[in-house]
Amino acid sequence: MIRFEMTELTAAERALRDDVVAFLAEELPRGSFTPGLGMNGAKDPSFSKQLAARGWLGMALPKRYGGHDRSAVERFVVAEQLLRWGAPVGHHWVADRQSGPVIARFGTEEQKQRFLPGIAAGELSFCIGMSEPDSGSDLASISTRAVRDGDGWLVTGRKIWTTMAHLHDWIIVLCRTSPVEDTGDKHAGLTQLIVDLRSPGITTYPIPFIDGTADFAEVVFDGVFVPDELVLGEPGAGWAQNTSELAFERGGPDRWLSTYLVVEELVRLYEGGDPPAEVADLAGWAAANYWVFHQLSLAIARMVDDGRSPSTEAALVKEMATRFEQDVLNAVLRCVEDPPMAPGRTPFERLLVTATLTAPSFTLRGGTNEILRSVAAKGLRPGGRV
Amino acid sequence: MSDDLLTETANRLFAATCTTEVVEAAERDGWCATVWDAVAEAGFPWVGVPEDSGGSGGSFEDAAALLRAAGRAAAPIPLAETGVLGGWLLASAGLELPDGPVAVVPGPVQLGQAATVAWGRAAERIVGLVDDGGTTLVVAARADQVEVDPGRNLAGEPRDDVRITARLGELDAAPAPDGVDAAALWRRGALTRVVMAAGALEAMTDLTVEYTHQRRQFGKPVATFQAVQQHLVTVAQATARLAMAADVACRAVARGDGEVQVAAAKILLDDAVEQATRSAHQAHGAMGVTREYPLHHVSRRLWAWRHEYGGARSWRAALGTTLVDRGADELFLAVTG
Repeated sequence: MIRFEMTELTAAERALRDDVVAFLAEELPRGSFTPGLGMNGAKDPSFSKQLAARGWLGMALPKRYGGHDRSAVERFVVAEQLLRWGAPVGHHWVADRQSGPVIARFGTEEQKQRFLPGIAAGELSFCIGMSEPDSGSDLASISTRAVRDGDGWLVTGRKIWTTMAHLHDWIIVLCRTSPVEDTGDKHAGLTQLIVDLRSPGITTYPIPFIDGTADFAEVVFDGVFVPDELVLGEPGAGWAQNTSELAFERGGPDRWLSTYLVVEELVRLYEGGDPPAEVADLAGWAAANYWVFHQLSLAIARMVDDGRSPSTEAALVKEMATRFEQDVLNAVLRCVEDPPMAPGRTPFERLLVTATLTAPSFTLRGGTNEILRSVAAKGLRPGGRV
Repeated sequence: MSDDLLTETANRLFAATCTTEVVEAAERDGWCATVWDAVAEAGFPWVGVPEDSGGSGGSFEDAAALLRAAGRAAAPIPLAETGVLGGWLLASAGLELPDGPVAVVPGPVQLGQAATVAWGRAAERIVGLVDDGGTTLVVAARADQVEVDPGRNLAGEPRDDVRITARLGELDAAPAPDGVDAAALWRRGALTRVVMAAGALEAMTDLTVEYTHQRRQFGKPVATFQAVQQHLVTVAQATARLAMAADVACRAVARGDGEVQVAAAKILLDDAVEQATRSAHQAHGAMGVTREYPLHHVSRRLWAWRHEYGGARSWRAALGTTLVDRGADELFLAVTG
């Protein structure tokens, strides 16, 4: 059953939003930094620590582990403002959005004490170890293996498309710990391991990205020893845990804000005046969509706080919101007559160039839209209703 | 009554009265007294209009819940016109509400000139706003003070050319209070179409989900094919967007605001209709384009309501111009605040 219930920010949540807006205007004024596109914002550990000092990282993590016992909605409020500002969120983004929550949910007491305070302090950074060269959408087919070795596991395999793996501290690796033949079920026998990216046996290779950056990487594991205390959750239960981790990843403001700044800068070119008809048309259409996606994402966060697991809703929103990110970019491109020049001569052109080059990834990362449609379709059965 | 209970009650009443045969007959005849009588008996047309003005009381959101249920059932009656639009105008000016249906002239009334009016032929009163030398008046004409030239929209709903033949002095008239003007009426009208369309889209999702799970090809339900699932998802997404837009815009209007929200919702209506009707029809195959299967009752209404109270072009231009004028730094808060 798919159902979104309208909600709105409480006075306290609005006050938090205003605090974040004021903080950004003060500490990160426009013109003082190069804004990034949504979650592709730059990696800046000192900025992450500034946020942590305000209590804006690890917000929903428990206080006893350095978190702030705050709600998913409050995290949404902060994330939305950071993304729309193009703030350098790259250092903490994955740790704050999914690694922290998944450790809080499935980790041992020791793991929580070891990792969560560092995540909430903006010190520890994480990346995602899911995709492999031969396993993308068919994630259960991964071939990275972990075999028993004394008090731990030896990991061998390759993970790919890991953003900034060479710059991060930890990676949560999904690997096979018992062969499919043992159970006959490819979703069984998978395990998540928390792996130190500086462990012996790990090599990271940058993969040049389409826009010329080197943020992508492949991580090769050659008999990397991972002690038992770094197994996340139950050995063999990795698939279910991973699925729940993906739900953290979906449905948030990062799925509709990737090209927001392109629109904002286009508006800036004409603000206060009489815009050409096609610019006004685009601004009206884009605004309507930002408005409704804000409402839908907020509703999902509220559902999480109400103890529900809106994974179908999140898949439904991510699938359409990421297409919107691309559609609105194309609408902007139709308003532009002269060919954009790389890397861009004005703030608007620089954003436009980067957005154009990286937009294909929006509907791939975090689950392709084709997979998301299958996930969402499972929630569309007779007798249910939207 | 809670909104959920009200919705449930309304859905039950509409489901019982607005059968496919009844909706077909209403389209053929231009009116269906049995549906109107049942709905009037329940007091639905006047929900949201204060009791001391002759309404049934209840909130604007209650009225919207009923409109959504009516859209879901393709109810062939002037529910929006009688209460949320006409009843609102009459009550705001202290004019008497008639017992029967009301129709509304959507733009400024030009006496003696024809305007397209929804359900004009069925109305006991035609209500509108007249600019009387700088003062906005709410006016109400009786059926014997108008000439009606019948017309129909894409869904076969009455959209009649109505000409008020009486002079201003002969009409019921009273000054409109602040906040009741042509722009506010236009906005409310647009919102009624959004809310009704949200209901119609819910019905469209249900029909499409059910049909694709029943219909078998290649030995299995067509809903098991990924290509068909994509259509289901598209319909559900359009429905989710518009339902949320309708709810939030109604909340804003109930609070006396809603300029940005209604514009945004009406803009979203256009995309939602285009995408949902295309996918729903594709998923239904040829069955969906027959008159015997009920999909057309919702798809034709969606195509019609898309253009009523302004098409996407004018709403986009208006909202876009406002937002560009307010400037880039205001944009985000304007749409999420």
